[in-house]
Amino acid sequence: MIPTPDPAYRVGDSVLPGDDVSAAVRTGDVSKIVLGPGLRRLGSQVVVSRAGVLKMPKNNVFVVDAYQKRYIPVKDEHVVGVVTNASSDVFRVDIGASVTASLSYLDFEHATKKNRPNIQVGDVVYAKLSTAGRDMEPELVCVDTHGKAGKLGKLEDGFLLTCSLNLIRKLLSVNCPLLQALGQKWPYECAFGMNGKVWIKARSVKETIAIGNAIYESELMDNAQIKKMCTNLGLVIDSM
Amino acid sequence: MAAQYKTIHPVKYYRDFLAHDLRPDGRSPDKTRNVTVNVNSISTADGSSTVRIGNTTVICGIKAELGKPKPDEPECGFMVPNVELPPLCSPLFRPGPPSEEAQAMTCFVSQATSDMVDLKELCVSTDNLAWVLHIDMICLDYDGCVQDACLIALSAALRTVKLPKVEYDAETKLPSVSLDERADLHVKSSPVSTSFAVFDDEIILSDPTGEEENLSSAKLSVVTDGEVILSVHKPGGSALSETQLQDCISVAKDRANLVNELINVALSSVDR
Amino acid sequence: MADMSGQASGEDHKLRPFYCELNVLSRPDGSAIVTQGETAAIAGVYGPIEVKPNKIHIEKATVEGIYRPKSGLPCVSDRLCETTLQNTFEAAVLTSQYPRTLISISVQEMQDSGGLLACAINAGCLALMNSGLSMKFLVAAVHCMINKTGEVILDPDNKQLKDSCASLMFAFDNVDKNIVSSSTHGRFTEAQYQEALLRCRTASTEIFQLYRDMVKKYAPTMG
Repeated sequence: MIPTPDPAYRVGDSVLPGDDVSAAVRTGDVSKIVLGPGLRRLGSQVVVSRAGVLKMPKNNVFVVDAYQKRYIPVKDEHVVGVVTNASSDVFRVDIGASVTASLSYLDFEHATKKNRPNIQVGDVVYAKLSTAGRDMEPELVCVDTHGKAGKLGKLEDGFLLTCSLNLIRKLLSVNCPLLQALGQKWPYECAFGMNGKVWIKARSVKETIAIGNAIYESELMDNAQIKKMCTNLGLVIDSM
Repeated sequence: MAAQYKTIHPVKYYRDFLAHDLRPDGRSPDKTRNVTVNVNSISTADGSSTVRIGNTTVICGIKAELGKPKPDEPECGFMVPNVELPPLCSPLFRPGPPSEEAQAMTCFVSQATSDMVDLKELCVSTDNLAWVLHIDMICLDYDGCVQDACLIALSAALRTVKLPKVEYDAETKLPSVSLDERADLHVKSSPVSTSFAVFDDEIILSDPTGEEENLSSAKLSVVTDGEVILSVHKPGGSALSETQLQDCISVAKDRANLVNELINVALSSVDR
Repeated sequence: MADMSGQASGEDHKLRPFYCELNVLSRPDGSAIVTQGETAAIAGVYGPIEVKPNKIHIEKATVEGIYRPKSGLPCVSDRLCETTLQNTFEAAVLTSQYPRTLISISVQEMQDSGGLLACAINAGCLALMNSGLSMKFLVAAVHCMINKTGEVILDPDNKQLKDSCASLMFAFDNVDKNIVSSSTHGRFTEAQYQEALLRCRTASTEIFQLYRDMVKKYAPTMG
């Protein structure tokens, strides 16, 4: 047997599946810690289950941040999906997970048995996951608890693109300047689904493509680079 | 009660037994099942055998044909082993083309037996005529360790093969076969495979039954020939330590000697 | 994207140069290309995706390993390779996390100059890492051979393999460095097997270090 070196991992270190990070999460006198995605308990140990960076977003909450493209449904998250079957009372919506999600025709604003929402195959919807779990089929709703649509519902026109889940989280974080910087150039509408799908609607095809490319490019950029890119993009598009 | 308990909680059922170092069939974890070897069971084949390991039954028939050697190996004959897992042997298999498992098993058997016969001895005339040995192994009852049974069956059947003397006339390009003059095939080695199943990531069960294989977290096969190891095949599953592997190898070596003795007894019992 | 290389130090246990790159394909959920010397393989992971009803497991994910040779369709002799890949990855993935789904790992041979199966396992493992799927442990595979004088040579290429009397491949996990897979060809003694095993195990730590460096390298891109 080769003695495995047992480096004490700390928050901020990159970790691999199988690493024992019990020492890192038990710092300080805490009676309660929360293990997020990428960590699991194995007996008395805390073991990493995916390759990434160990992070502590909140006090005593630990996650392993990793690159991910495939969406795994989580309750209460907002997603963008494409309707794949609209013939029955329950629409099937592809949200990029292992199975299609279901969306009842009654879960729209003002929908009744008589007043069926006008949804066709291929339509894009912005919806919230009302049920999700590894043993259950994900279910979507397009209304909040008061029966109001809010920003949920069918997305008319526009353009749908798919990116990694990390990019969505990055763009939706409070300090990401991309959406604001783009908004200063051109008016546009967008919907970001936590499932890695982005819906954009701008005034022209040219602008839509520009916004889409800006989103893709920002994956590997920091905030200063993003701002600079948006300025350059504005100049290029305006001069065309 | 026991039957219901087993149906509802098969894993726990086994755990309860193994806690007492016993298996439901009464064996200790490192004990192998009884092996029965019968040779010359198919009179129409050039060589044949039937092997049983517990309930597992494999029948092997060898058909010798004359064929043309491959251009890139003009001095070699062929051995074409093929394992068949028909729907008869287990509900796991459906009729149709060979299942993935059957293909993997064929591959395993042909690798383990590749050096049993010198393929050059199968050649009658360089680049013109050579023996092709079609070795078909058919599983009749699938109850674990089918690859072990296949290998024993092949090894026993190969030793019963008597090839007739063949002369190749280079001018007329016709072979002349004298069926009365037959010679034994020269078999160089006697590989024996022993399989193991890993239960609950740590308990190693020798010679598992089909049920044990299903519940196991890993399987491995060790092929030995005397003191030489021919293959340690562990296709994934739960990880094992070195010492566990060593134990498996020593169990396999002991069993290989017993099985080879058994094959010899079976061979000497037939009228030769 | 960035690439990493590593070469073992010291004559005693020298692996061929190991290069890998993650996220090389746009469609799969995780992908990786690995070259070890002249041998190269590319792997893509899709999962969790919808599973066919005849392969479904109620309590865990179905793991499917697909091996594609450089040309033509996979033949019978590739099946053993494929089952090894499949079972190795099934052990590594935390399958209970994704019940009633399929995790499909395809490995495409790019070039074989010795140790292709080891390279395929390493590529598959890196692709799984890249996909963000939950795993129990990582695997690293090392290939070696025993030459006619009975010496163990680590990670040989095609030229060296011509002089071999046995070739062995081991895959180890990164927690206890135990043996996940073992696949051998040719004849050898138990002592030789043990020696080869030890040498490969020592070499596997280098591959695990490479995996770790890889995660470090890609960490900044995760925002």
